[in-house]
Amino acid sequence: MIPAPQSDSTRLITPTMLVLWLVLATVPLWIARVGLYPYLGIEILIWSLYALAFNLVLGTAGLPSFGHGAYFGIGAYAFGLCQFNVVANLWICLVAAFAVAGLAGALVALFISHRRGIYYAFMTIAFGQIFWTLAIKSHKVTGGEDGLLKIARLPADFGFASFDLAGNVAFYYFVLIVFGIAVIALWRLVHSPYGRAIAAIKQSETRAAHLGYNVWLYKASIFALSAAISGFAGGLFAMAQLAAFPDVMSLHQSGYVVMMTLVGGGLVSFWGPVIGVFLFLIARDVIGAMTNAWMLYFGLLFIAVVLFRPEGVAGAIMATWQNRSLNSMRQQGGTALRLLFGGGRWR
Amino acid sequence: MFDLLPHILNGLTLGLLFALIALGFMLIVGLMEQINLAHGSLFALGAYFAMQLMGPRPPLPADLAQSWLALPLGWRYAATLILAPAAVGLVGIAIEFCMRRTYGKDPLYGLLLTFGAAMVIEEMIRLTWGTRDYVVQVPQAVSGGFIFGDLIWSTYRFYAAGIAAAVIGLVWLLIEKTSFGATVKAGAHDSEIVRALGINLTRLRLLVFVFGTMLAAVAGIIVAPIWGIRPHMGVDAVIPAFLVIVLGGVGSFWGAVVAGLLVGLAVGLSGAYASEWSLLSMYVLLVAVVTFRARGLWGKKSVLEA
Repeated sequence: MIPAPQSDSTRLITPTMLVLWLVLATVPLWIARVGLYPYLGIEILIWSLYALAFNLVLGTAGLPSFGHGAYFGIGAYAFGLCQFNVVANLWICLVAAFAVAGLAGALVALFISHRRGIYYAFMTIAFGQIFWTLAIKSHKVTGGEDGLLKIARLPADFGFASFDLAGNVAFYYFVLIVFGIAVIALWRLVHSPYGRAIAAIKQSETRAAHLGYNVWLYKASIFALSAAISGFAGGLFAMAQLAAFPDVMSLHQSGYVVMMTLVGGGLVSFWGPVIGVFLFLIARDVIGAMTNAWMLYFGLLFIAVVLFRPEGVAGAIMATWQNRSLNSMRQQGGTALRLLFGGGRWR
Repeated sequence: MFDLLPHILNGLTLGLLFALIALGFMLIVGLMEQINLAHGSLFALGAYFAMQLMGPRPPLPADLAQSWLALPLGWRYAATLILAPAAVGLVGIAIEFCMRRTYGKDPLYGLLLTFGAAMVIEEMIRLTWGTRDYVVQVPQAVSGGFIFGDLIWSTYRFYAAGIAAAVIGLVWLLIEKTSFGATVKAGAHDSEIVRALGINLTRLRLLVFVFGTMLAAVAGIIVAPIWGIRPHMGVDAVIPAFLVIVLGGVGSFWGAVVAGLLVGLAVGLSGAYASEWSLLSMYVLLVAVVTFRARGLWGKKSVLEA
């Protein structure tokens, strides 16, 4: 594994991130011109939040969870049901999505946190399937296979001002702000003492236990937290789609988030999952426009990534970057001259 | 009690089929410590190949096809049981060649690789055969049904269960009573020593993987007439296979068989009273058992937990 550059992990704002935020903030201005559509921007942000939440479990804690779609879906249903049956207030419904998914995650965590490796993976699949079956079969509550329809994009009411989120552009900016806040919170979390303890558990559970950490509690809490944030993303997704479907809870869809995270490089980088979501959703639309068998090509691509670049796109970038900085250190003077006067090899 | 008997019987026949589906999966998990998520897709591929071979237009040269179709259905079915798995075995070889690079790494990589393979196979199936459902013909002698208790039973279901039991028995003989089985088990236990003894471990692993793949195909062919053939059937098969393996304990042959029967019973009995929720019963059974017995019924400690 390649260690992250130390200076980046403590800083909140790096040049790369500044560029990223700038790009994200201007999406509605140019997305239609490059042949995509505004809704895709919303989808990318929501899936990025979901993938980052998922990566708390897979990348940070090293726990293979393969039923994570369940919590995303639970969040979506909770948002819709809260809106229909409790109160149609954006904040309360989003909190409900967060809380209900978090509770479901905590319940599951009680059962699985003593498990390791493949048994852990199997248990998460079993629970994911239980929730999925419940969603499909409880026709009266969830609408069965048809899902929960007519969910509204509730206005964001701040007391002094209220914003209508029904349009795609307004909703995009709302999601962007929420995404920004959530990302800062996640970044702080991963680099906090708590996050460090989780990373220690990933390296060796036994060693962490001997150092006096309550491994069970850490594993359970990170899982519940990840489920809660996934549910929150699910709530946003219900707003984006104006509906909640059992589809996102299926084993396949749970697999997609694993793929996104892995392809992007979630195992070695905080931002990896976001890269993966970008690639996945854009590939879905671009390859999907050319052929209706886009999963075939994505599957082949995925196999190639696992075989040749298991640390994902982020890992590849980091390796290149490290090589470059090593090389430049070796030939400090020469490189600068060659860059200035040509003849230097750009990587 | 007598009222329950038909449901128990039904559950047990179903259980034998589950055990058969899980068997190839178990061999690969237990002996190579690799999880083959493509198992379900290979199962589906077996069923599709069989459907194509048995169907009105087999993919053969015209004169060969004619003499093939002239054979009695029973003979054709028996031949298909060998030919289709052999064809699926070739796909298994391709997967194993890719998978080699993941041996000795985190089992997560093998799992993800086969997830990709499953996606590719399923999409290929969709491209080749479309999304519609197909029916496989079964020989006249085993089709139809009979009445027992107050239920109508399909004869084929019992034949399928019988074939499943026979295949399970054969695999047991192969693993427990032949020198091939002994070598394979030794390879799983301590690969260093086996290699030091001059045994070609690379070839051994290929053989085990392809054998597991072919068992998936056999299961697909046998189960297809009962469940029907559709692109999604792979997922429907791989999940019970998971459950059976974890419930029985990774690496335990009899664990898998008993767990298969248990899952079948759970599905059969719950299906009698709450058919809507019968799928749920197997997950609940798994959670209940694994909560109290971490490694399933007869599982041993393995590197998969690290």
